[in-house]
Amino acid sequence: MEGNMMLLFPVVCPIAAGIGVLAGKVFRKNRKYLVGLSAAVLVLELVLTVGALLSGGSSLTMLRVTEQITLELGADEVGRLFAALTAAVWLLVGIYSVAYMSHEEEEHRFFGYYLIVVGVLMGLNFSANLITLYVFYELMTLTSLPLVLHERSREAVRAGLKYLFYSVAGAFLALFGIFFLAGVSTSLTFTPGGVLSDGALAGKEGLLLVSAFCMVVGFGTKAGMFPLHGWLPTAHPVAPASASAVLSGLITKAGVLAIIRVVYYIIGPDRLRGTWVQDAWICLTLLTVFMGSMLAYKEPVMKKRLAYSTVSQVSYVLFGLSLLNQTAFVGALSHVVFHSVIKHALFLTAGAIIVTTGWTRVDQMRGLGKVMPKTLVCYTIAALALVGIPPASGFVSKWYLALGALSSGAGVWSWVGPAVLLVSALLTAGYLLPLTIRGFFPGHDFKGEEIQKRNLAGKEPSLWMLAPIGILAGAALLFGCFPEGLISMLRSIAAVVL
Amino acid sequence: MIQHLLLNIEETAAVILFGVGFTILLLHRNLIKKIMGMNIMDTATYLFLASKGYITGRAVPIVVDGVQEVEAYINPVPSGLVLTGIVVSVSTTALMLSLTIRLYERYHSLDLDEILIMAKEEEQT
Amino acid sequence: MSFVQNFPFFSIIIAMFSGIVSSVLDGKKARNLSLGMIAVTTALSAGTLIFCLGTGESYTFMMGHFPAPWGNEIRAGILEGVTAVFFGVVMFLAVIGGLKHTAEDVEEKKLNLFYIMIDLMLSSLLALVYTNDLFTAYVFVEINTIAGCGLIMIRQKGRSMSAAIRYMIMSQLGSGLFLIGLSLLYDVTGHLLMSPAKESVNMLVAAGSYRIPMLVIMAVIGVGLAIKSGLYPFHYWIPDTYGYATPTASAVLSGLVSKGYIFLLIKIFYRVLGYENLVSSQMANVLYVFGITGMVMGSVHAIYETDTRRMTAYSSVAQIGYIFMGIGLGTSHGMVAAIFHIFTHSATKALLFISAVGLYEVSGDKKDYISLRGAGYRNPLAGIGFTVGALSMVGFPMLSGFISKLLFATSALESPHKMLPTLIVLAVSTTLNAVYFLRLVITLYSRRRPGDAPVPETAPRGSWQLKLAILCFIGVNLVLGLASQPIVRAITDGLAVFG
Repeated sequence: MEGNMMLLFPVVCPIAAGIGVLAGKVFRKNRKYLVGLSAAVLVLELVLTVGALLSGGSSLTMLRVTEQITLELGADEVGRLFAALTAAVWLLVGIYSVAYMSHEEEEHRFFGYYLIVVGVLMGLNFSANLITLYVFYELMTLTSLPLVLHERSREAVRAGLKYLFYSVAGAFLALFGIFFLAGVSTSLTFTPGGVLSDGALAGKEGLLLVSAFCMVVGFGTKAGMFPLHGWLPTAHPVAPASASAVLSGLITKAGVLAIIRVVYYIIGPDRLRGTWVQDAWICLTLLTVFMGSMLAYKEPVMKKRLAYSTVSQVSYVLFGLSLLNQTAFVGALSHVVFHSVIKHALFLTAGAIIVTTGWTRVDQMRGLGKVMPKTLVCYTIAALALVGIPPASGFVSKWYLALGALSSGAGVWSWVGPAVLLVSALLTAGYLLPLTIRGFFPGHDFKGEEIQKRNLAGKEPSLWMLAPIGILAGAALLFGCFPEGLISMLRSIAAVVL
Repeated sequence: MIQHLLLNIEETAAVILFGVGFTILLLHRNLIKKIMGMNIMDTATYLFLASKGYITGRAVPIVVDGVQEVEAYINPVPSGLVLTGIVVSVSTTALMLSLTIRLYERYHSLDLDEILIMAKEEEQT
Repeated sequence: MSFVQNFPFFSIIIAMFSGIVSSVLDGKKARNLSLGMIAVTTALSAGTLIFCLGTGESYTFMMGHFPAPWGNEIRAGILEGVTAVFFGVVMFLAVIGGLKHTAEDVEEKKLNLFYIMIDLMLSSLLALVYTNDLFTAYVFVEINTIAGCGLIMIRQKGRSMSAAIRYMIMSQLGSGLFLIGLSLLYDVTGHLLMSPAKESVNMLVAAGSYRIPMLVIMAVIGVGLAIKSGLYPFHYWIPDTYGYATPTASAVLSGLVSKGYIFLLIKIFYRVLGYENLVSSQMANVLYVFGITGMVMGSVHAIYETDTRRMTAYSSVAQIGYIFMGIGLGTSHGMVAAIFHIFTHSATKALLFISAVGLYEVSGDKKDYISLRGAGYRNPLAGIGFTVGALSMVGFPMLSGFISKLLFATSALESPHKMLPTLIVLAVSTTLNAVYFLRLVITLYSRRRPGDAPVPETAPRGSWQLKLAILCFIGVNLVLGLASQPIVRAITDGLAVFG
């Protein structure tokens, strides 16, 4: 243990608290303690993260596994971005969960793992080398698994198994690459521009490309990239809504972070530009973008629809990364932030609808505007942002992505990419906005018998649930109106790595 | 080729016997025959070792009328090894035989495949 | 000569004499004697290890009054010391963990026989580790086989007796091959002590004579010991043997016995036949191919098993494959990885077998997947123990399995032709491991379904010995995973003075 101890607290505190919640009998019996402790830890987590971010750039060596391999934490620009995003969103969803989870069983288990996962995720964001990243990545898979399994129904177990197998297969595909990279690099510490040594690499260029591809596909599993995307639409919807939200909004971003680290900080973008790996990667992301949107469009169950939408939207990010130029990189990272905020708002809305009305399919939700107008307004703002209608945030990121694609010089992809993005944006509107339209304008023939019979009219969810949705939707709008601060920060990151 | 084999007749016999014993131990289903195979295999090794230690025209290394010069005796080490080996093979044979008796009392069969099937059935009920 | 240098001999002889004394004791006393003996021999081994670490080199210990090249010798060095200490610790914990079941599975008046077998087993293992004489090695291989057979058949069930006879037959095939190999080697070199034998071998190789006999010797000894350690495709006896013995016996057999043979094999390769001769004669490649085949096929078999003990046993087949792959890589780093994996696997597999006992206890003594549903809640510590073991086998970071995989992968990078197959097979086998182990872990923590067989309401929650053993094994795993560096360094140093 040597170095900047401030980095350790955001990782260890929630994990310790989570283990305490799981082990302590008092939290099982008394809900007040459980909720109080969880909320306190989440607030503390935000404070600690801010503290760690302000504490300067030095790193912390936690453990020397072997002479070459250390577990090391550090906070560079990308890590800071992800850490700040994680801590803030986790707190909001935590507040929402307090109200939402009162309808579910075994809350202590949910909150216990919910706290542990945020600690692990912080460790992932602050990882300073590839091995540390891998350790936390595996831990994240394992600790987030109980969130998927929460219902413990047959369906949940099946989804959990699917989640686990895809993740493990992906992680070991990536591990294959790590083993190879360990042999041809000077160190595995993240350095902008890559750490590979030309001497050790001589004669192994072909193998480098293969292992780079393996790692992109392997870590892409978590980000729901084709061909290993199959777990995502199964696993996200079976979890409780707040868990689906963080799984979709933040855990998928862990895959993105891992890919950023590998491509931009270990291998170096220059080694991949113009190779078959870049072509294949672009091709996979565009395929995923289109396929995800298409499947979402045809999916009647709301949470599943949102999960497919995640498949599509996270691949926007990956598309931006695969172009390997500055503008697209800015677009990709800004889409990480925006999509995370928006998708949380959407999933939390879906949860609120389920809790209040019990409706899960979109066609049941006609006339929703009569039940929960405020929630639906928030939903609409978020949906418009995801479609990319100015001035909401999605427009900004997609603008940069399209600009980056057009100026990438990646042959045919430079115009196929924007075209696919455009089609997908139309599809996004097609699958998100019907809820708004039919919610507020159910049509003349709509009598709303069910709403009257169950006395649902004007029954907004409680403030604890509404407030986080409102804040997230507001953020989705505001980021779009005032993107300069974020964009200039991202530009400075992009200038360093590319 | 043939000349070589005939010249080293003991070794040739030992290797053939080893092969015979090994095959019986591996392939026969009858437990008693398996044990026989094992013994043939061991005996083959002892024959091999003993023939290695034997030097034509010399006596066994047993002191009878006081120690004579070294040239009078054959190499004693292989003989010692054979003796040790015999002890080992006797004990393993005894163990195998006692196990066979146990299995026979229980299943009334010496066929290993049959015994395995019966044991599997017994487990399931 | 320092007094400490007598310790290896003492530890072997103490273990053997406790076995002899136990034959006139009753079960309980034999048990206590056995436990005390294991503790004492482990302490003696630790003393040897500390002595060797202090001097930094190995020494030979003359038995009787005949100096080399006659006589009989023991050799102790860092590598032998580490291995002996490790074997002692695993043996102790395995015996402790299975105490209650040993008492249940074995007839009371035969209980002392069980502990005789344990004593003899440890004695022969130590002898295999320390010996510097090939024929002594053969004798102790046979003692080890007999003791192992005794450990299996002491549970008087039909299945375990038929398993015992199968074990015996396969072992006899193996030791027969080993013996003929030794005879040929003696024929060619004229020596049974390892060091002079190696000199002769080197002379023969340099002169280029006896090429074919040398190849036959390598093949016969290699295959013989591979059969005894259960390398694929000679693994048919493994699932029955490990699956139906009493828990302590399963843990000892899978964790230690096969490892003793592998250690002997490595010793013969290094100290007699010469590792470089092995590599240049392509024998290493043969072992490598068997190894990687075993890694995949063992896991494939394990996936199809529904009986969890047989599944764990098949996973041993895969792990033995890892070790032989490391030996077959043909580099000293590969060998270090293989020896480290010997430690990893014995600690982890013993943990799995012992903690599985705790899970069976609360599931009506059933061993299939379905009955174990929810067992992780009914016996939390055993559940955690099994989970840790499973994660370690899968190669989860921070646990011992990860370090071995890392060592294998980094050593594979050195050999250009074997790099790609090794890395691919490592990835495939790891994924397969994950499939069956994590499926079982999830089963342990999933909810019971209405149709499931009832579990005993007042099931025993495991004795304190079981809990202690599980905790210690988890600790050993974590130590191997987190503080692997000193051990790896000791293995590297030990190997350097091995040849």
